[in-house]
Amino acid sequence: MASQIIREWAGIQQFPAATQSKLLELLGKLKQENVSTLTILVMGKGGVGKSSTVNSIIGERAVAVSAFQSETPRPVMVSRSRAGFTLNIIDTPGLVEGGYVNDQALDLIKKFLLNKTIDVFLYVDRLDAYRVDNLDKQIVKAITDSFGKEIWRRGIVVLTHAQLSPPDGLTYDEFTSRRSEALLKIVRMGARIRKQDIQAASIPVVLVENSGRCNKNESDEKILPSGTAWIPNLVQTITDAVLSGSNGILVDQKLIEGPNPNNRGKVLIPFILAFQYFFIVKRIQKSIKNDIARESRPAWA
Amino acid sequence: MASIAAHGLAIPVNRSHRRLNSANTTSGTSVTAASLHPLTIKSKLPTFSSSQNPKPSFSNTRDNSNIFASKQLQNVVKTSAAIGAGLYALSSGVSNVLLSGNGGGGSGGGGYGGGGGGGGGGDSFWSKIFSPAAIAGEEESQEWDSHGLPANIVVQLNKLSGFKKYKVSDILFFDRRRGSTVGTEDSFFEMLSLRPGGVYTKAQLQKELETLATSGMFEKVDLDAKTNPDGTVGVTISFLESTWQSADKFRCINVGLMPQSKPIEMDADMTEKEKLEYFNSQEQDYRRRIERSRPCLLPVSVQREILQLLREKGTVSARLLQKIRDKVQQWYHDNGYACAQVVNFGNLNTKEVVCEVVEGDITQMVIQFQDKLGNVCEGNTQYPVVRRELPRQLRQGKVFNIEAGKQALRNINSLALFSNIEVNPRPDEKNEGGIIVEIKLKELEQKSAEVSTEWSIVPGRGGRPTLASIQPGGTVSFEHRNLYGLNRSILGSVTTSNFLNPQDDLAFKLEYVHPYLDGVYNPRNRTLRTSCFNSRKLSPVFTGGPGVDEVPPIWVDRAGLKANITENFTRQSKFTYGLVMEEITTRDESSHISARGQRVLPSGGISADGPPTTLSETGIDRMAFLQANITRDNTKFINGTIVGERNVFQVDQGLGVGTKFPFFNRHQLTMTQFIQLKQVEEGAGKAPPPVLVLHGHYGGCVGDLPSYDAFTLGGPYSVRGYNMGEIGAARNIVELAAELRIPVRNTHVYAFAEHGNDLGTSKDVKGNPTEVYRRMGHGSSYGVGVKLGLVRAEYAVDHNSGTGAVFFRFGERF
Repeated sequence: MASQIIREWAGIQQFPAATQSKLLELLGKLKQENVSTLTILVMGKGGVGKSSTVNSIIGERAVAVSAFQSETPRPVMVSRSRAGFTLNIIDTPGLVEGGYVNDQALDLIKKFLLNKTIDVFLYVDRLDAYRVDNLDKQIVKAITDSFGKEIWRRGIVVLTHAQLSPPDGLTYDEFTSRRSEALLKIVRMGARIRKQDIQAASIPVVLVENSGRCNKNESDEKILPSGTAWIPNLVQTITDAVLSGSNGILVDQKLIEGPNPNNRGKVLIPFILAFQYFFIVKRIQKSIKNDIARESRPAWA
Repeated sequence: MASIAAHGLAIPVNRSHRRLNSANTTSGTSVTAASLHPLTIKSKLPTFSSSQNPKPSFSNTRDNSNIFASKQLQNVVKTSAAIGAGLYALSSGVSNVLLSGNGGGGSGGGGYGGGGGGGGGGDSFWSKIFSPAAIAGEEESQEWDSHGLPANIVVQLNKLSGFKKYKVSDILFFDRRRGSTVGTEDSFFEMLSLRPGGVYTKAQLQKELETLATSGMFEKVDLDAKTNPDGTVGVTISFLESTWQSADKFRCINVGLMPQSKPIEMDADMTEKEKLEYFNSQEQDYRRRIERSRPCLLPVSVQREILQLLREKGTVSARLLQKIRDKVQQWYHDNGYACAQVVNFGNLNTKEVVCEVVEGDITQMVIQFQDKLGNVCEGNTQYPVVRRELPRQLRQGKVFNIEAGKQALRNINSLALFSNIEVNPRPDEKNEGGIIVEIKLKELEQKSAEVSTEWSIVPGRGGRPTLASIQPGGTVSFEHRNLYGLNRSILGSVTTSNFLNPQDDLAFKLEYVHPYLDGVYNPRNRTLRTSCFNSRKLSPVFTGGPGVDEVPPIWVDRAGLKANITENFTRQSKFTYGLVMEEITTRDESSHISARGQRVLPSGGISADGPPTTLSETGIDRMAFLQANITRDNTKFINGTIVGERNVFQVDQGLGVGTKFPFFNRHQLTMTQFIQLKQVEEGAGKAPPPVLVLHGHYGGCVGDLPSYDAFTLGGPYSVRGYNMGEIGAARNIVELAAELRIPVRNTHVYAFAEHGNDLGTSKDVKGNPTEVYRRMGHGSSYGVGVKLGLVRAEYAVDHNSGTGAVFFRFGERF
């Protein structure tokens, strides 16, 4: 899969002209900054629209999608190049299976990502899910445990199914901001981002609507109920994240396995042993001696 | 009238009511040591198949006591009998030893019950002696003759017919000084062997009178018979009690091993001057005797009590001396000095009463080996091996004590080298007042081998048992004990369920034990053990949490060499340190080596990409490490309930030798406290106290930690109410438990609460098996239970899922 031939990014052609020009502008900007490759990792729960988002960005049906079942059993990297610029998008299987974090899927992803550099990480969830729960936190935690806290510096929260009518009594903007705030809170908790770091590591939220029934504006761009064309917006956010100055995440063996707990504190072992001998063994020996001295002897002895 | 020595009053040693042999009788037979029942243990070692002592000898203790009850009627003046008394107590003590001890010889169980509970049995024993039934037994069959005289006349003893057997209807003691008869509760009655209803000849009555007269208790004593109308006679003993001038000092001396002072007949023809000289020389002799005597064991407090008694009474009377004697002897016997006896009171008619005691000094300690037939033979065991087990108190020059004897018995028994042990004190003929302690040992067979077989029929193809699938299995074991007579031993065993194909599940063990590493004479008690072993255990690390159906098991096979040195500080506290070299192989259900744990996928499939099972990630690890374990245990049993404190610290220190150069420090500290909540009286049959048990266990590892060495939480010895490892497997753990035990009848009920926590270190085990198998990493439980013999029945509620279950477990949690 890694040796997949990089195809010409043809899909870009079928975007509306406005979107095309916007995208090309952004790509040019990246090239200016000497960024010729962009690797995007897409992760999230199953069935939230990861693959659809990938397809939307590429502009073609690059990965199979189905409304009713998981079509992505293993990670897939879609690579497209355009004018010397390569875009890699890694689509992954859903991280939830049977109400638990699917460690196996995570393992697969890790193995797949070995020796790749991730420039941008898209955490995908649905906008129209009203609540966040412990599972969301566990997913975020699992991701953080696997790839480190750093990944959230390049992280973008993507909320799909953005074209919805908000619950009664809420405006669309209110709803989206509250939903994203709730999700961000969970992400911060799961990623163990400390309060003081929140400002520095603010995670952008992007709304997405992959459906073909998405509303369009006068230049035929897919737009959100708020009126923004979301594809250029998403690519804009991605570009911003790449250019924000932080480094991409190189997934190597060490990152996957985490710090080896077997090596931690190894140098201290001689000291620990000495401590054990002088402060525990000696002490117990002393109390045994006390016991012997205090032992109630029979009268005859 | 008896001749009384100028300074001494000889009190017959056999008259104490505290003594077994206190009653007089006409027959002069003495109980010899041979007819007594010494302290004995016959053990049947469970592993020793050819032991020829299936039934321990103490099972007939009850009978012994009966024999004794009749024997004690015989007049025993010799000291040997006094030892006999001790011996009885010893043999009754045996049941005690075994009751509390190793449970050696399960078949003896019925016997102990009959023994009537050791020391406690003494009381009933005494009541038996004084009960008339015991006495009646002897004379019952004898005919008696009527006196043939008119009724109600008083006949002097010498006027009675020498050919007749008189039946004595009643006995009266008449105190001439007070002019009244004394009650039957008076101590004089105990000196008498005559009993109302008994039949005696004139000679017997005369002998009785003579005994009384020579006792030194009386200045004058007469025996008259009063005829009764029914042909029987009533005996009246009129006496004048001896008295001496009042004393205000008391001294107790040990005259054991010194020649008894013998009253020298005074020549009636001596002049006054000669007499005076004679008295003076005697006085000097006595003073010298006192000087030469050794101080006695009698504590000052008892001496002071006696002094008090002396001062209260004023004049020293025979009865007072008797009382003092009883008191002194009582103290000795209460403290286990079974052979001690008051032999004489000296220095009477001075300001000081000197109580001469023979305490029972040990003059010799003999260790004897016996063959199967009980003949003395040369033993294989070296003497120092036995000798080092003997308490100091049993050595030559010390005073013999029953308790020391029992201790010796227990200690020797714990060597597990002998099938029969007797500790037998007997009087030293050459040394008056001395005791020879004989230890008679029957050795167990040195070599033994055992083969036990079993056939298992396993289902063949199609689930049907076929002939080819019948598997012969079993155990072959051998043992060579007591090499060089130094208690060194080699034992080995091989177990397999299929001898035709033993490579499947061959379990073997070969062990060499070398005690007395510092030399058999060195009091330091270190034992070297080297062994070659293998074992197979189900790993609790690869266990599912609640709600996880089935985790494919991982078997951990260990095979290796081990050498360690154990130093015993006390019976329970010890320090062990040594080297372990082992190869660990992890296998799956079908015995294939597996490098990683398996897990069941939600889809139902099994994937073998779980946490790594070994450090090398190949399924086979080799490592060498040092292991040390120090145990401090001062627990003891109070009425059958354990009370005290137990601390164990264990550390495994990796040496960096082995696969992937494992270097680690794995340590655990366990602290258990059994707190007695109420003071209770100790003794057989008394209720045990309620006990609060507090338990803490910390385990941690720094450095390389393969999953098979991870600490697991949950299980009957970790957190009850969970399965083994159900809570988690972690690098550092903490377990806390509290249990309250309330005695109910013969057993106890208990309530407990326990908690186990991985301290967030589950993730520090490679592969995080806790999370992979969906375990919480921490958990609590609480419950109640009851102890039913060896089985604990308990209801425990697991706090993670909130459900409870009833468990039956063997053995103790703590």
